[in-house]
Amino acid sequence: MHEMSLSASLLAIVSDYAGRHHFSKVNTLRLSFGALSCIEPRSLELAFGVLSQGTPAQDARLEFDIQPVVVKCLTCERESASEEFPCPCPQCTSSEVILMKGTEELKLLEMDVD
Amino acid sequence: MVTISVVKQVLDANDRIAQENRRLFDEKGIYVINLMSSPGAGKTSLVERTIEELRQRYKLAVIEGDIQDTYDAERVAALGIPVVQINTGGGCHIDANMVREAMADLPLDGVDLLIVENVGNLVCPAEFKVGENDKIMILSTPEGADKPSKYPLMFHESSVLLINKMDLMTHVSFDLTKARADALKCNPALAIFEVSCKTGNGLDGWFAWITEHIERFKTRTA
Ligand SMILES: Nc1nc2c(ncn2[C@@H]2O[C@H](COP(=O)(O)OP(=O)(O)OP(=O)(O)O)[C@@H](O)[C@H]2O)c(=O)[nH]1
Ligand SMILES: [Mg+2]
Ligand SMILES: [Zn+2]
Ligand SMILES: [Zn+2]
Repeated sequence: MHEMSLSASLLAIVSDYAGRHHFSKVNTLRLSFGALSCIEPRSLELAFGVLSQGTPAQDARLEFDIQPVVVKCLTCERESASEEFPCPCPQCTSSEVILMKGTEELKLLEMDVD
Repeated sequence: MVTISVVKQVLDANDRIAQENRRLFDEKGIYVINLMSSPGAGKTSLVERTIEELRQRYKLAVIEGDIQDTYDAERVAALGIPVVQINTGGGCHIDANMVREAMADLPLDGVDLLIVENVGNLVCPAEFKVGENDKIMILSTPEGADKPSKYPLMFHESSVLLINKMDLMTHVSFDLTKARADALKCNPALAIFEVSCKTGNGLDGWFAWITEHIERFKTRTA
């Protein structure tokens, strides 16, 4: 929903690094976020494409590393990855699970630059 | 081509401003809540109820986030409580910088509790810290019990869930057991209160929670 503000923050980080590392073009930005963090990759690409015009990150490709949902089962006490949430325990089907991972915020991991 | 390792939260700049806000709130001994819900779930109604209950004992202030109008701020101002309106101009959440700017227009000295009413939206306000001590969310019964499973992030981040409009529950066939169970899966530490801001039922539990947290914060910062 706020892809514009996320894109603006991303571009601020890029511009900060461009000043210090002296690059003129960004080819790829690798990002990560949790599967449940409400970020829509296609909308982010669209917003970033618009806002990056005329900056070193113009035409850069965004790559997403989406962190999986991990639940912990209170019955068998095991942790497992899941495609969705809420879900029964993927190991023993108990419905007594709690969310452990999957809400990680958007992070910029690395960028390929020229 | 060179690869530069960054590993930075994209919202780092927001988080830093939120920390600065927090430092100022700590200095002044102000306990801050960030109040979030879907549009119309009852945020302003809860603000009004909370003001009525706590105003004898505490000094309060309110920041109202709204996409456009100033109607919510007028409701609070009518109670004689200092309030600043942030117009997010179509934005879907309040961020730390908006709160920093609003703080400049509020008499903060001596304030015990600052309530920030966020934009009505279940998706993104939870991602933007503003310098609050706790995030408080409202789910109202007409919205349905599937909200925790559709928007787990906000339930995960909140300290309190108020299930509001309990007076309407039987009319809208709200599955209370499911809502509670799914919310606790997102966050086992969530404190849940079933309330009606219309009748006042159930609000005592919320008043006790907020009073306890204001007091606990006071002894910590004193
Ligand atoms: N029946 C019933 N109606 C309620 C209750 N709480 C609030 N309302 C009504 O719900 C409507 C919306 O309440 P608000 O308090 O303005 O909700 P809000 O979350 O501040 O709304 P926005 O700021 O527009 O997102 C109003 O007409 C309230 O009177 C309740 O417990 N029961
Ligand atoms: Mg309101
Ligand atoms: Zn937003
Ligand atoms: Zn299990």
